[in-house]
Amino acid sequence: MLRYILKRALSLVLSLVVASILIFVTIEIVPGDPASYMLGLNAQPDTIENLRRELGLDKTPVARYLSWVGGLVQGDFGTSYTYRTPVADMVADRLMVSLPLALYALLLSTAIAFPVGVLAATRRGSVADWSVMGTTQLGIAIPNFWFALLLVLVFAINLRWFSAGGFPGWEAGFFAGLKALTLPAVALALPQASILSRVMRSSLLDTLDEDYIRTARAKGLSRRQALWRHALRNAMIPVLTILGLQFSFLLAGAIIIENVFFLPGLGRLVFQAITQRDLIVVESVVMLLVFAVVLITFLVDVAYALVDPRLRQQA
Amino acid sequence: MITTNSNHHTDAQLRVNGLNLSIHETPILNSVSFDVRAGEVLGIVGESGSGKSMTAYSILQLLPDGSSLSGSVELEGQQLIGASESELCDVRGDVVGMIFQEPMTALNPVQTIGQQVAETVYIHGGVSRRAALKVARETLNRVGLPEAEFALDRYPHELSGGQRQRVVIAMAIALKPRLLIADEPTTALDVTTQAQILAVLKRLVLEDRMALILITHDLAVVANVADHLVIMRHGNIVEQGGVQEVLATKAHPYTRQLFEASGHKPDREGTSLTDKPLLKVDGLIRDYRLPRTRLFGPSRYFRAVDDVSFQLHRGESLGLVGESGCGKSTLTRAILGLDTIQGGVITIDGETVNAHHTMALSLRRKMQVVFQDPYGSFNPRHKVNRLVAEPFHLVKDAPTGNALRAVIAEVLESVGLAASDADKYIHEFSGGQRQRIAIARALVIKPALIILDEAVSALDVSIRAQILDLLASLVDTHDLSYLFISHDLSVVRSITDRVLVMKAGKLVEQGPTEQVFLHPEHPYTQSLIAAVPQLPD
Amino acid sequence: MSQSNVNAPAWYTASRVLIPGLLLVALVILAALVSFVWTPFDVTKLNIPAKLQTPNTTHWFGTDHFGRDIFSMIMVGARTSLAVAVLAVGIGLCVGIPLGLTAASMQGSLLDEIIMRGNDLVFAFPALLIAIMITAVFGPGAVNAIIAIGIFNIPVFARLTRGSALSLWQRDFVLAARVSGKGATRISIEHILPNITNLLIVQGTIQFSLGILAEAGLSYVGLGAQPPTPSWGRMLAESQTLITLAPHLALFPGFAIILTVLGLNLTGDGLRDLSDPRIRRR
Repeated sequence: MLRYILKRALSLVLSLVVASILIFVTIEIVPGDPASYMLGLNAQPDTIENLRRELGLDKTPVARYLSWVGGLVQGDFGTSYTYRTPVADMVADRLMVSLPLALYALLLSTAIAFPVGVLAATRRGSVADWSVMGTTQLGIAIPNFWFALLLVLVFAINLRWFSAGGFPGWEAGFFAGLKALTLPAVALALPQASILSRVMRSSLLDTLDEDYIRTARAKGLSRRQALWRHALRNAMIPVLTILGLQFSFLLAGAIIIENVFFLPGLGRLVFQAITQRDLIVVESVVMLLVFAVVLITFLVDVAYALVDPRLRQQA
Repeated sequence: MITTNSNHHTDAQLRVNGLNLSIHETPILNSVSFDVRAGEVLGIVGESGSGKSMTAYSILQLLPDGSSLSGSVELEGQQLIGASESELCDVRGDVVGMIFQEPMTALNPVQTIGQQVAETVYIHGGVSRRAALKVARETLNRVGLPEAEFALDRYPHELSGGQRQRVVIAMAIALKPRLLIADEPTTALDVTTQAQILAVLKRLVLEDRMALILITHDLAVVANVADHLVIMRHGNIVEQGGVQEVLATKAHPYTRQLFEASGHKPDREGTSLTDKPLLKVDGLIRDYRLPRTRLFGPSRYFRAVDDVSFQLHRGESLGLVGESGCGKSTLTRAILGLDTIQGGVITIDGETVNAHHTMALSLRRKMQVVFQDPYGSFNPRHKVNRLVAEPFHLVKDAPTGNALRAVIAEVLESVGLAASDADKYIHEFSGGQRQRIAIARALVIKPALIILDEAVSALDVSIRAQILDLLASLVDTHDLSYLFISHDLSVVRSITDRVLVMKAGKLVEQGPTEQVFLHPEHPYTQSLIAAVPQLPD
Repeated sequence: MSQSNVNAPAWYTASRVLIPGLLLVALVILAALVSFVWTPFDVTKLNIPAKLQTPNTTHWFGTDHFGRDIFSMIMVGARTSLAVAVLAVGIGLCVGIPLGLTAASMQGSLLDEIIMRGNDLVFAFPALLIAIMITAVFGPGAVNAIIAIGIFNIPVFARLTRGSALSLWQRDFVLAARVSGKGATRISIEHILPNITNLLIVQGTIQFSLGILAEAGLSYVGLGAQPPTPSWGRMLAESQTLITLAPHLALFPGFAIILTVLGLNLTGDGLRDLSDPRIRRR
């Protein structure tokens, strides 16, 4: 088990190193000099030169990469070209919106998908199954930001149950914050829940075809007992894979949804940074999101091992 | 409730009468009737499609969707046909236990063996978890999985196929059922393991005075174990009675046919044995790399073939026997020049075989292969003429157009198919016909050596007999030599001149076939031959 | 058992989703093609007096804040959506399949390891992140959206190809081809590829529909096609500020996206049911 986790952890670190190089190189090839961009057209050459030195832009690319990564490891994301404030502070503020939103959506989607998927699988071919399959087919086809617009139209503008956008901040209280994130989380979660329930259903049905289910039935277990005691845990393996992938979709989706609801999250930060050519912010936010995705992949791998003893004992 | 020792004076434990089964309107069983008594073994024998497994599933009513079942299944006086699902659940596992063919997939991979055996006990109620685990422990001991090596918390993947089958048996007998149904319980196992599992079953029947229904395709298996015999074909019982009586009189023509096919010896009078060596294997070593145990540790290797040397002469039919995992398939791949070897030399007519593309096509074309699985051996998207012509890739001036068609027609006819079969797709053929096409593909470039890798193992006995006859006749007409690889000793005995015995990567014995079978020298060969179930003469 | 008996119900079950799916997809393709020669109104002409009309007999889906005909814009927008998605799937197929075939034919080798690690790495970048990075460097545009979604598609096809090719490489008919002296490339093309085409087509339709969704998302946040090229995602973005005034502006582009994606998904499901007899029974 420990060996398996170590192996996964090593591949996590490797992925991060290569990803950081990729991101750095991509941003490196951007034409134009941030210093002269920041100071405008009329700046004096020596002022620009001073700023370049201040930002560390005069060093070699390798040195700059190393100092960037070294900073990242210590939580120092550099200084924003536009606001001249530490990027880490800006990101931390925004993360307090984006991360809860993604988790909220993941929780909702899982809470919906599990019972729905199990229900459809246990009653294969029934009216319940057909309606689940039909609804989820539609759910997958709906773009989440459009669904968000509809939610705003119905629940914020017509019914006035929620505000149409904005975020009061966690200072306003946990429930106020949660309420502001509810519509965005629902918009994010429903399409994902559709995918997840379908995966849950088909994975369970596949597992129910396995020989060991027949063995269990020969022992005297009813169809339902065989499903709960034997099929469910085995069916979790593909479901975990999709769950891991969904987190990265949710993070990315959150960037778009934040725009619908005017939420001060990472997404809005990154779009502002692009228009202001504040590349160090773009670089840091992308790196952070990649870190989150890779970390989730790692956690999913660990979860596999908890579900499946064959992986646990693997060399 | 756990039924312990009740009295067993009822006449028939199970009485099946006029059982009819159809699945999606297709008739599967037709008026099947038989009895089984306590402490008695009933063998049900038939080829694929005979309905023998479906008979077993019908008793427990574990049938696929769309099945309709009628007739009478009386278990200790209780009528099971028409019983409710919950009544059937009470019967399954408690009064009737069942064992399946595939031990590798019959156990839940994420639960311990203890949990799975104990489940049989506590699912039928009345006992605590702890008591159930205690019963599981005792039952595992009874089937020959002692606590020292096989603790309750072991997982299925840590056990071999034979050990897993013992766990399945333990699950089935944990509550001492009155009837045990075993559906091809040893088909997926090696011959020595098969003998052990059959011995366990036989012992349990005696100890618990159970009735046992043993379903198999292998007449020899039941001949040694069963008291009564039912012979099935196309969903009908063609004959039943006491084992000795049925096998001695062979009253029904199908019984006789099955009996003869099981021990079939093809006519091999005209073999032109020479002493010119065709294939020489000298000190062959083949290592596989194992996954690393430590991240930065050195690679570890598994030696699948260990210093193997032998010769195959022109015109000879050489057998290679061994149990699964002994390295015989690895050896085949090395000889065919598919894998790089780590030591030794393989030569054909003096030329060295290697796995690189430097290996001359003219050398490759001297050998061809026929595999076990008649379904996986062909690309389903190609027609027979393209499939059979594939080895012409090895020939420089390969025939084309009409000349090619003529060659393919000729080779198809030589394996007993029609020239017109060339334009069909492979799914239009039965398993036996596909194996003929595989032989045609091997023959088409007139190789000197054909490697038959378990080539008849997946076939029903009567089809197997026909293919063995075909192989025997081709030797003379095509000037062939065979390397015949099989786990089935009786087949090897019937078709080879000399035999090699392989165990754990090494050749432990070799010699003329009859001599090895009559006077085996190595203890392993002796145990193999002793384990083979024999048909009475 | 005769083949036709097995196939008839399969065709029947599959066609229940396949035919509606194909009809929807055909409808969208038709709209896109017709828009090259004819639309009810010119989408480049502004007509301020006719702005923000609700659906009526002249303007079937109404007009936007510049008085442009929504129906015509949706027809032209279909071009953008389809083009971006088709090209992005094309990138995924053209790069992913050869990578997957190569990796499978050299299983366990260093090259296989590199290809698979590379795939894992790309998976860490959701399409939107790639788009953000590309936009940060080259600025927004339809081409960059294609590249971003295309890059994201590569590991999807590479993994699928490698996974299914690996199991085919274990099959006896591939061994038979090797015994006939055929090399890895030839076997990959002759024996492996034809046997995974079904899977690739099914995955292709799924990626196609994901591509439509991704393109809409990217244009919605301004990283996709730029004005004046009409696109469904940007129509939604523009509708957002007017949502209280003219909700129909948000509805119709949304419906267009949903119907296209639904059509593609149904087609994919139908094709899979046809090619996989195991799932067929469900």
